Formats: sequence, C-alpha cells, structure tokens
Amino acid sequence: MWYHKPVVNEELLQSLPNLRIVASSGVGIDHLDLKLLSSYGVKVSNTPFVVSTDTADLGMALMLASSRRLVEGYEMAISPDTEYFPADWLGAEVSGATLGIVGMGTIGYKVAERAKAFEMKILYHNRSQRKKEEESAVGAVYCKKIDDLLQQSDFVMLAVNLTPQTHKLIGKRELELMKPTATLINISRGLVVDQDALVEALQKKIIKAAALDVTYPEPLPRDHPLLKLKNVIITPHIGSATKKTRRIMMEEMIESIQAGLAGLPVPHEV
Amino acid sequence: LSQKVQAIYLWWHKPVIDQELLQSLPNLKVIANSGVGMDHLDVKLIASFGVKMANAPHAVSSSTADAGMALLLASTRRLVEVHHIAISPSVDYNEADILGVKVTGATLGIIGMGRIGYKIALRAKAFEMNILYHNRTRRKVQEEQAVGATYCEKIDSLLQQADFVMVVVSLTPQTRNLIGKRELELMKPTAILINISRGAVVDQEALVTALQTGVLGAAALDVTYPEPLPRDHPLLKLKNVLITPHLGIKTDKATYMITEEAVENILAALNGLPIPSEVLPS
Repeated sequence: MWYHKPVVNEELLQSLPNLRIVASSGVGIDHLDLKLLSSYGVKVSNTPFVVSTDTADLGMALMLASSRRLVEGYEMAISPDTEYFPADWLGAEVSGATLGIVGMGTIGYKVAERAKAFEMKILYHNRSQRKKEEESAVGAVYCKKIDDLLQQSDFVMLAVNLTPQTHKLIGKRELELMKPTATLINISRGLVVDQDALVEALQKKIIKAAALDVTYPEPLPRDHPLLKLKNVIITPHIGSATKKTRRIMMEEMIESIQAGLAGLPVPHEV
Repeated sequence: LSQKVQAIYLWWHKPVIDQELLQSLPNLKVIANSGVGMDHLDVKLIASFGVKMANAPHAVSSSTADAGMALLLASTRRLVEVHHIAISPSVDYNEADILGVKVTGATLGIIGMGRIGYKIALRAKAFEMNILYHNRTRRKVQEEQAVGATYCEKIDSLLQQADFVMVVVSLTPQTRNLIGKRELELMKPTAILINISRGAVVDQEALVTALQTGVLGAAALDVTYPEPLPRDHPLLKLKNVLITPHLGIKTDKATYMITEEAVENILAALNGLPIPSEVLPS
C-alpha cells in the first residue's frame, strides 16, 4: 500500500479471499480500519522508525523557511521587477525562540533534539510525560495542559498521530490561545487541525503564519483559500520523501510481505 | 552640520565612505558597521584619517547560522520547488520530482570556522551530520570534539567528501574566488553548495557552468555579486538554484542587537574608551 491507495474496504477484502497481509508505507495507519482487516484475518504492517529523522528534518525546514520568509525571499530574488533588496525586509529569529511540540513521540523528540541546537526554549505536550533524563537531554518542559504550551510558544509544531482524540485537536479555541506572532507547523495529519478555523485565524491575523506538510484532503482543491494565503507554506506531504528513506521503506515493506506470506512473525506488524 | 558629526552608523553599506566624505567630516571619530563584513570599507583609507572602525560580530552569528541551516534544509528537501507544485493549478506531478536528499547523517563541509561557522556546526551536529571543516587555523581540540568536527588542512579533502559544502568565510584578497572551477570539480556531482558569506568568494561564472553541466548538484545562495543580480543572469533561471535576498541577518532580533552593539561601540569611541568590537587595518 502506497500513499493510502488502494482504499481497503469491505468490498476489496471480500474480493481478495487469499489476502494475507497489507504492508503500508510510512508510520501513519489512520487510513486503515484495523478492526475490519483483523476480522478478515489480514495482517497489517507499517514502516514506523525509518521515517522519523526525515520528518523531523522537514519540521525544522518548514519552521526555518516560514520564519525567515524563504519562499517570499526567493521570489523577490528572482523577480523581473526587483531592482534592489529593501533594507526593512525582515524575518523572525528562530534561535532563542520558544518551540512548543505537540506530540512527543519518536518524531517529536527528534525535533526537540534539533531545536535544542538552535538554543530554542522547548515546551511539549503529550498524552504522558517523558522520563526526566529524556526531558533534560533536550531541555524540554512538560505542559500538562495544551493551553500553557499554546500561550507561550512562538512556534507550535504538531507531531501527533491521528486518532479520534487528536482529530481537530487544534481548533478555533486553540488558535486563539496562540500568540498573534506565532507560527503553526503541521507535520502530522491534516485532520489534526480544524482547517476552516485555521483559514479564518490566518486571514484575521489571529496567528501569524502556517507551514503545512499535510492537509485534508491531499491535495487540496485548487480553489481552496489556503493555497492563496501569503503567510502559508504548503508542501505535498514530503515528510519521508528522500531517496534513501524511500528505498529503506520499500525494503521494509517487502520484508514484512515475505514474512507474512511465509507464515513467519511479521516485522513492523501493527 | 559636517563639523558636528563625530560618528557614523553604517546601515547596509550606506553612506559610501570615500575620500570626499572623510574630508568633509573633520570631527569624525568612529564608523560603526551594522553587521560583521567589512569588505565594503577601505579600512586603510579610513584609518589614515584617524577614524576608528567597529563591527557587530556577536549580534549576527546566530541569525546567519540559522539562515545557513534554512538554506541547507530548503535546498536538500526542495522546499521552494515543491511548495510551488503544491499550490499550482495542476495537481499532476511525478513522485520522483518531489524526492529530496536525506539530511540526517549526511556529511557537511564547513569552509570558515569562525563564530558563524561554529554555530552552524553546533546545529548540524543535532542533525547527526558528519562535520568536516577547513579554516585558516585549526580550532582547539575541545571545540572540535564538542561538535564532532574533523579538520581538513587541505580544502580538497573537504570538497571531495562533503555532501553539502557551506561557505562561511569573510571576504578578503585570499578568499576572493576561493571556490572556482577546480574546487567545484573536486566536489561530488550530487553535492550542494551553500553560500552565506559573500558573492565574490565564489567564481560565479564557474558556478553557472558547473550547475549546467551536472558537475555540481545544486546551489543555495544568500549572497551574490552583485546584489541583486542582473535580471537576465543565468543563475536566476537554473532549476537547481535557490537564491535568497541576503537575508542572513535580517531578523527583528538581530537588527535590534546589531544596533545595540553599534551604539556600544560608538559610545566607547566617543568617550575615549577601548572599543569592544574594534576592527583594525591589518
């Protein structure tokens, strides 16, 4: 299964009586009905850890590109109308700023490790608190209430997985708690954010900017307001899109499939 | 008015400091530069008028290091390119067109390990990068160990091994055209050159040729010569080039800190005290 295709539903499962395993690319499994698959005796595997560093790297890339106005800057640098670079054109500093990480799993933690080197102040919100040594290693402070994180952060990075609990985790209320100078970065799933509320918040300058590797749907309809907002960077779900990682993902999927077909324990079984 | 001027705060190379200006300001005591680069100033000429000079080295290092990392990440992950794909009217694209290069675990070669270069090393270490560096002088062992950096006495060795080459030197007669045809050919054909120093450190014509012929994979340039480039310059049209408008220090915080540093320097000079960031003609 690559990028959520084909859609695995009752109809498909009924038509494939000998299906033994569905190997899904990437770590997210929100697109799979695990109960349904289990009821047909079909195993499921993903590629959980290989995507982590690339996704964390992309989170950092989006934060830096957004704060330093890289897309705008590039357009100015190559535009036929540019005669000089204005002296009052400024971005926002990342070093020393406060980063709030929502979801401190493998990916969230790798983001923290990277952000620490930029001397950022790191806050995090998670279902459970991390061990003290893990917190100290990255200088991260736990915010049991997401509100505390939202109110203090200059950058809010979403690194949760999509579950019924995280669906629309960031809505109108959460966006209004954020600083008007804050930037929202989403490397998790489009549905973690209430997209309509996000559009409104960006238009009304309730938050400053957004950088989204994920949306709902993907891709967005071509007339969607998010595509036109100047303070939004959108990338086409490239969290794990590097040659090296894609190769390893393929290898892992094949490993899982081969084990599944041979009746052996399946690596990365979900 | 010209009799009253004792200090100049130079913002972005203006005003131009030449013989004429210096002669018209007899009571000028100090020129404070907004930034760290002094290549736009004739330091010998200024010193000959008995005018002191200062720059703002501390205020610029973090923002410039951040910009270097921003360019490295944007270029490897093709951020600007794929953003345009994501918002374009057509949703048809090839998966292969959006694949980037893995940053974690790659080899970064830093040319120029001063304040800014070192801050880049600190950041790159967190991405588990293998760090090589080339510098006029070797850093202390503890400094090298803190970032896991390996010294390359010969620049060739760095160029041959690096996946990404970040240029962070100051512009001097020795570093002009430091990266030319020879150096570009030593680099891996998949390598990415990132320049956050000065346009003149790179032989721009050689760079264009290298990018066009596949000798070099890609380039990310915050600085060019001149700035901005003429609108018909080949660099503006190459698909594998990211150019940014000299934004290295252009953040609200850095601007504030630069001005603070400049004011400190000016006040010290006017009070006959040692200037914290004095630049001497060497």
